[in-house]
Amino acid sequence: MLRSLLFKYQDKKQLYVALLGGLLGIVFTLISLHYLIKVNDFGEEKDALGPNIFIVQKKVSSSTSLNLGVTDFSDEELRFYKEQAFLLAVEPISSNNFAVSFETEDPLVPYFRSDVFIQSVDTSFLDVHSSAWKWNQTDSVVPIILPRDFLMMLNTFMSSSGIPVVSDEIAMDIKFKLTLSNERGSANFPAKIIGFTNEVSSILVPQSFMKFGKRAFGNVNQEKVSQLILESKDGQFGLVESFFKSHHLEAKNAHLIAGKLKSMISILLSTILVVSILAMLLSCLVIIQYVQLLISKTAYEIRVLLRIGYTVRNIVRQFTLYLSFFLGIMCFAGFLLFYIIKQLLDSIILNAGLMIDVSLSFVTIYVITFIFIVFVILTRLNTYRNVRKQF
Amino acid sequence: MNIKLENVLPHPLASMSHSATSIWNARIELFQGQKVIADAYSGKGKSTLIALLFGVRSDYDGTVYFDGNAISTFSMNDWSELRRNKISAVFQDLQLFPNLSVKDNLLLKNQLTNSYSEKEMAQLIERVGLKDKWEQKCGNLSMGQQQRVAVVRSLLQPFDWLFLDEPFSHLDKVNTDICLELVLEKAEINNSGVLLTTLGEDYSMKWDQHLYL
Repeated sequence: MLRSLLFKYQDKKQLYVALLGGLLGIVFTLISLHYLIKVNDFGEEKDALGPNIFIVQKKVSSSTSLNLGVTDFSDEELRFYKEQAFLLAVEPISSNNFAVSFETEDPLVPYFRSDVFIQSVDTSFLDVHSSAWKWNQTDSVVPIILPRDFLMMLNTFMSSSGIPVVSDEIAMDIKFKLTLSNERGSANFPAKIIGFTNEVSSILVPQSFMKFGKRAFGNVNQEKVSQLILESKDGQFGLVESFFKSHHLEAKNAHLIAGKLKSMISILLSTILVVSILAMLLSCLVIIQYVQLLISKTAYEIRVLLRIGYTVRNIVRQFTLYLSFFLGIMCFAGFLLFYIIKQLLDSIILNAGLMIDVSLSFVTIYVITFIFIVFVILTRLNTYRNVRKQF
Repeated sequence: MNIKLENVLPHPLASMSHSATSIWNARIELFQGQKVIADAYSGKGKSTLIALLFGVRSDYDGTVYFDGNAISTFSMNDWSELRRNKISAVFQDLQLFPNLSVKDNLLLKNQLTNSYSEKEMAQLIERVGLKDKWEQKCGNLSMGQQQRVAVVRSLLQPFDWLFLDEPFSHLDKVNTDICLELVLEKAEINNSGVLLTTLGEDYSMKWDQHLYL
C-alpha cells in the first residue's frame, strides 16, 4: 500500500530510458574491460623474461661489416639510454668469451650435443623465482633459461630420431650438461632448465656462473658490450620504436609489432571504456533526476506519511527497494548480454585463428557488483536527501 | 507528557499586537490529562500553535518544552517516535490521502503501532456514521465526512496529547457530539490531554483550561 502510494505518479518511461542507457553502458564497459585484459595477456605465454623487455643491438650495415663502424655500446650511450623517460631499465648483456657446449645427460632421452652461446642478464629482468636463479661454485646444478627456438630444434631432432617430442614441463625434468672450455682445459656442469624465453637466442645462465666462466676460461681481452637488455613502460611501444629507429638499434621485430598492435587496441578499448563509463554516469544522473521528480510529485503523500508517524528511513527504504530491483535487473541483464556477446566475439576470434584465452575475467564480476553497489548507494543518498526536505 | 510554552512568539505573528491574556510571549503550562480549548478569530495563530506543537514548523522565538525537554533539540527520528506514540493530530486541512479508501487511510496509520484490529477500525467508522463509506476513496467524500475519517485516524495510536485544529468545522451538531464523545472517550482511556482549537464554539462542555490567542 505504501509503495503504491509513493509510486502512483511515476512515469516509467524515463526510468526505462535511464535503465536502457545504464544497460548499454554496462555491456560496453564489461566488453572493453574484458578484452582489455585479454589483449594485454595475449601472446604473453609464460616467458622467463618479464613483459615489455627488449634485447637490442646496433644495426649491422655494410660499413660495420667492414669494421668502419662500431657495433658495441659505449658507457656514454648506456648512460644516455638510461635517461630516457619511457625506459624503466637498461643494462648490458654479458656474453661468453670462452667455448661452451650443451648436451643431454639423461638415459631417458637420446644423446644430443651442440656448441652454444650463453649470456647472462640482470636478475631484475627475469620473471623467475629468485631462489631458483642462483649459482655458486658449491652448487651441483646450474639453472638455465632455454630459448624456445632451441627447444623446437631439440624436438625436431627428437622427432627425426623417432622419439616423442617433449613439452616445456618434461624438458624441465631432463638432465643436461654444460661444458666450459678453452685451449688449456675444460670443466663440466650439470644443468637444469628452469624456464623458457622467446626474447633471446642464447642460453641464459646466472651472472655468478658467467663471471666464474670468464674468470676460469675467458679471454683476457677487454670485454665489449654488443647487446643491451631494456624494459619499456607499458603502452609506450611507439616511443620505443621511434627511439630504436633514430639510434639505429634493432630488436626482435615481431615483439615490437605485437606490442604496437596491443597498444593500439588497448587505446581503442580504453576509449570505449571511458565512453561507456560516461554513459553509465549519465544514466545514473537520469535515475537520480527521476527519483527527484518522483519525490516532488509525491511530496504531499511523503509529508503526510511523515506527519502520521512514518520515519524518513521507512520511506527511503521503499524507494531503495524499488530502485534496487530495477538496478539489479539492469546489472544482471547487462552481464548476461555481455556474456552472450563475449561468446560470440570469442568464436569469431577463434575462427579467425587467433588463440585467445576465452575464460571469463573475474574482474568483470567484481566490476558489475561494484556498479550495482554504486548505483544503489547514489540513488539511496539522493532519495534520503530529498525525502528529508519534506519533513 | 506535560507541555510548557515559554515566551513563544511565532515569527508571522511578531508584528501583531497581542492582549495581556494571549498565550503568545507568555508562560503557559499544559498538563497531561487536561482538556484544553483554544479559541480565537481567524489569523490569530491557532493552526500555528498546533503546527509548532507537532514539530511541523520551527519559525518562532521562545521555547516549547515537552516534559522539560526543548522540542527545538528533537531530531527527525525523535519527532517520528513522538508522532507514533505520544502525540496525534487532526489538521485543519485534514491531510488524508484522497486516492486511498477510508479503510486504506486508516490501515496506513494503524500499521505503525497495530493499536486496533481492522474490525475495531470498522466499528469506529460505523460509530461516526460512515459505515457505507469504508471502501470509498476519501477524495470522493464530503468535507464533513473527511473530517470524521481524520478524527478516527488520529485515534489509531497511543497518545499523551491529541491536537485538534478546528476538527468539527464542517459537522452538524449531532455528528460533532458523536465525534467529541469518541475523542474524549479515547483520551480518557489513554489518560491523555486534548487541545482543541475553535472559532469561538465551546461545545457546551467544561474545559480544564481556556487558552486565548
